[in-house]
Amino acid sequence: MSPNRNRTILLVEDNANDVELTLRAFEKTSIASRIVVARDGEEAIQYLLAGGTASTAASNEVDGAAANRDPLPALVLLDIKLPKIDGLGVLRRLRADTRTRRLPVVVLTSSKEERDVITCYELGANSFVRKPIDFAEFIDAARQLSHYWLGLNEMPPGLDDGD
Amino acid sequence: LNPAVLIIDDSLTVRMDLGESFESAGFERVLCSNLAEARDALVSRPFDLIILDVLLPDGNGVDFLRELRTIPRTAKTPVVLLSTESEIPDRVRGLKTGADDYIGKPYERSYVVGRSLELLRKAPPPADAAASSNGARTSTTVLVIDDSAKFREELKFVLETSGYRVVTAITGEDGLRAAVDARPDAIVVDGVLPGIDGATVIRRIRADAALRSTPCILLTASEERSGELEAFDAGADAYVRKEEDSQVILARVTAVLRSAANFSSVGSTASLLGPKKILVVDDSLTYLHEVAAQLRQEGYEIICAHSGEEALELLAVQIVDCVLLDLQMPGLSGQETCRRIKASAALRDIPLILHTSVETQQSMIDGINSGADDYIVKSSDLAVLRARVRAQLRRKQFEDENRNIREQLLQKELEVVAANSARELAETRATFVEELERKNSELEAFSYSVSHDLRAPLRSIDGFGQLLLEDCAGALGEKGQDYLRRVRESAQRMGELIDDLLQLSRVGRAALHRDRIDLSSIARGVFDALQQKDPDRDVAIRVQDRLLVDADAGLMRVIFDNLLGNAWKFTSKAANPRIDVDASWEAGSAVFAVRDNGAGFSIEYADSLFRPFQRLHSESDFPGTGIGLATVHRIIDRHGGRIWAESEVGRGATFFFTIPPGRPAALG
Repeated sequence: MSPNRNRTILLVEDNANDVELTLRAFEKTSIASRIVVARDGEEAIQYLLAGGTASTAASNEVDGAAANRDPLPALVLLDIKLPKIDGLGVLRRLRADTRTRRLPVVVLTSSKEERDVITCYELGANSFVRKPIDFAEFIDAARQLSHYWLGLNEMPPGLDDGD
Repeated sequence: LNPAVLIIDDSLTVRMDLGESFESAGFERVLCSNLAEARDALVSRPFDLIILDVLLPDGNGVDFLRELRTIPRTAKTPVVLLSTESEIPDRVRGLKTGADDYIGKPYERSYVVGRSLELLRKAPPPADAAASSNGARTSTTVLVIDDSAKFREELKFVLETSGYRVVTAITGEDGLRAAVDARPDAIVVDGVLPGIDGATVIRRIRADAALRSTPCILLTASEERSGELEAFDAGADAYVRKEEDSQVILARVTAVLRSAANFSSVGSTASLLGPKKILVVDDSLTYLHEVAAQLRQEGYEIICAHSGEEALELLAVQIVDCVLLDLQMPGLSGQETCRRIKASAALRDIPLILHTSVETQQSMIDGINSGADDYIVKSSDLAVLRARVRAQLRRKQFEDENRNIREQLLQKELEVVAANSARELAETRATFVEELERKNSELEAFSYSVSHDLRAPLRSIDGFGQLLLEDCAGALGEKGQDYLRRVRESAQRMGELIDDLLQLSRVGRAALHRDRIDLSSIARGVFDALQQKDPDRDVAIRVQDRLLVDADAGLMRVIFDNLLGNAWKFTSKAANPRIDVDASWEAGSAVFAVRDNGAGFSIEYADSLFRPFQRLHSESDFPGTGIGLATVHRIIDRHGGRIWAESEVGRGATFFFTIPPGRPAALG
C-alpha cells in the first residue's frame, strides 16, 4: 500500500450521534484514515465542488489538519436523509460534474428501501450499505469499507495522488 | 343459386299449377305424384322446401312428414302441408307433427308461394339459397316509375350518387314489367300515370307472390287526401309529396329499405307485408263457406273452425293474422272464446272481429266488453266485411310497426341508461382507485419514514451502550454491565420488529410479478444462508426437485425465509433435526409442504397462527417477532392460494400451501 495514498473520507451525515459512532467505528479499523464531516448536502457539495475550501466541514476534521484547499477525498460516505439537499441530490450533482464523476461514493444509510437502492445505483453510487443497529456489526462494516475502498480498490486516475 | 322446392301431390292440376308458380318465383322445382317418387327425389338431392299433400295414393302425408323429421337431412327443412283435409283437427295434427304451415285446398297460389318465401327467409336452408328469388346481386336496386323525364332523371341522379342502382320506367305497365325483370329492392312510383295509376301498380305488386314484399313508395300531389287513402289501401309503405326535395325521397327510400330489412330479420314481424291467414269461426257451414270464398278472393288463407273450442285448439299451435268470430254458437260462446283469446298473452294482439246476426245495442256492448276489436252484423254487405278485415289487418300492421319503433326507441333509451350507469360506475371506480392510491402513498411515506427515522435512535442506543461498556466497564460494575446488555438486546429486538413490520406492510402493497419459478432452488438457497449463519447446526435437509409454480419470485423467497427459518429455529432442540420440502397432488392442484420434526405446537392454536404478533413459544425458548407467518399468509393470499398447518407438541409441524396457476390475484 502506497504511503502516499489518499486516505481522506468525506462523511456526509446530519445526526451527531451517528457521526460520533461512525468516527469511533473507523478508529477501530487498522487503516488510518482522515475523516471530514459535512452536516448536510449543501456543505458536502460546497466542500467537493466549490473550490474545495473546507469551511465548516474543516472544523470537524479528526486530525485537525486544516488546509486552504483540500484535494478530493478518496471516498464519500453519503447518508440519504439530509437537511437542505438530500443524499440523492448530492449524488446527482456529483455525477453531473466532470471532477467528481468518478469519485467513489458509498451510500451509508438507515433503510434498505428497494426504491432507494435502485435510485442510488441508477444515479451512479458505487455501493449501498445499510447501517446495522448492532454496533459490533457496524464496526465490522466500517472495517470492511476502509479495507476495501482505501486499500484493495484501485482508485480512478486523478484521485490517488494523496496529500 | 336458386332455392329448390319438392312438390308432392297426386293431382296433376295442382302439380302443374304450383310448379309454374314456384318456377316463375325463381325456384327450381321437382314434381312427384306419390311418396315413392318423393323418397327417390329426396335421395338424389337436397331441397330447401317441401310442399306435401296429405292424401296420397301410397300413404299419408302426415306420416311421411313424421318420417322426414327423423332424417337429419330433412329434419329442419320447411314443410308446408297442402290438403283438402283442412278441418281444424287435421290442421292441428299436421302442425303438431312438425309442419311449418298447413294450407287448405282450394288454395290461393300467390299465398302458397308467398308463404313459402317467408318460411325460407325465416329459416335459411342449408343450401346457399339466401339470395332466394333475387339471384346474385351486388348493389341495391330501386325502380323509379314516373312519366316526367325531368323528375325521373333528377331522382335517378340523387339515388345513384348514394350508391343505388336505378331502373326507370315511364308507365305503370312498363314499371310492372321492369319489376319482374329487375326484381328491385324498392319501388318509387308516381300516383298519377298515363294508363294504370300508381295505386294500381302497387296493388298488382302486392298480388304478385314474388314481388309482394318489395317496399313501395307512392309519390302524391299535395293536399290530395283521397288519393293518399287509396294508395294506402293498395298497400304502399310510404308516401312522399311530389314537390318535396329529392333528398327527402332519398331519405324515405333508405328508411323503407332499412325497415324492410329489419322486418325480414325479425320473425314476428316478417308477415307485415306478406300473406295473411284468417281464422273464421262459425257454427253455420253455409255461412263459413260463403265468407271463406269471399275472403279468399282477397288473397288470404282461410282456416275454418266450427266452434270456439276448435278455434282455441288451432290457436294453441298456430298464430293467425285475424279472427272472425261468430257471437252465437253452441258450446263455447263467441263472447267466451273472445275473452279467452284476449286473456292469452301470445294471442291478445290478434285482431278479432265479432260477427253476429243479432243487431242489438246490448250484444254490441257485450262483444266490445269481452275484448273484440270490431263488431259487424251478418246482414251487412260482404264488401263491408272485406273492408273491415282489411282495416283490422292494417291496424295490426301499424301497431306492429309502431311497436317496432317503440321497441327501438326503448332499446336506445336503455342503451343510454346503460352507458350512463357504466360511466357513473367508472367514475365511482376512479374515485375509489384514486382514494386507494392516496392511502397507499400515505402508507408508503409512513413506512419509509419508519424505516429511516425509527432505526436511527436504536443505533445510538446500541452503539453508545457498547461504547459505555468499553470505556466505563469498571465504573458500571457487574450489575450495570448486565443492565446495559439488556438495553442493547432490546434495541436490537426492536430493530427486528421494525424490519418485520415493514416487510409485512410491503408484501401487501408491492405489485405482483408472476413468473414460472422453481421453489426447490429458492428453498435450497435459503437453507444455504441458514447453514452459513449457523455453521455448527447439523440438520438433515431434503428438498424435492422441480417444484414449479407461477408466482412472484421475491415473495416466494420471503415465504421460504420465514417457513424454513421457523423450521430451522424450532428444530434447534431436536435430537435428529430434519426438514423436508415437497409437494403432493390433491384434487388436481399441487399442495406444497414444509415439514420439520421440531418443537411443534398444539393444534388448537392453529387458527391464530397466521395473525400478526401471535406467538406460541416464549421468547426465551425460541425468539421471534410473531410477524413472519402473517407475512407468509398475506403473500399466499395475494397469489390466490391457501395455507394451513398440522402439528402436535413435541412431534414437529407441517405447513401446507397452494399457489393456483396463472390467474394473477387482483392488486390490493
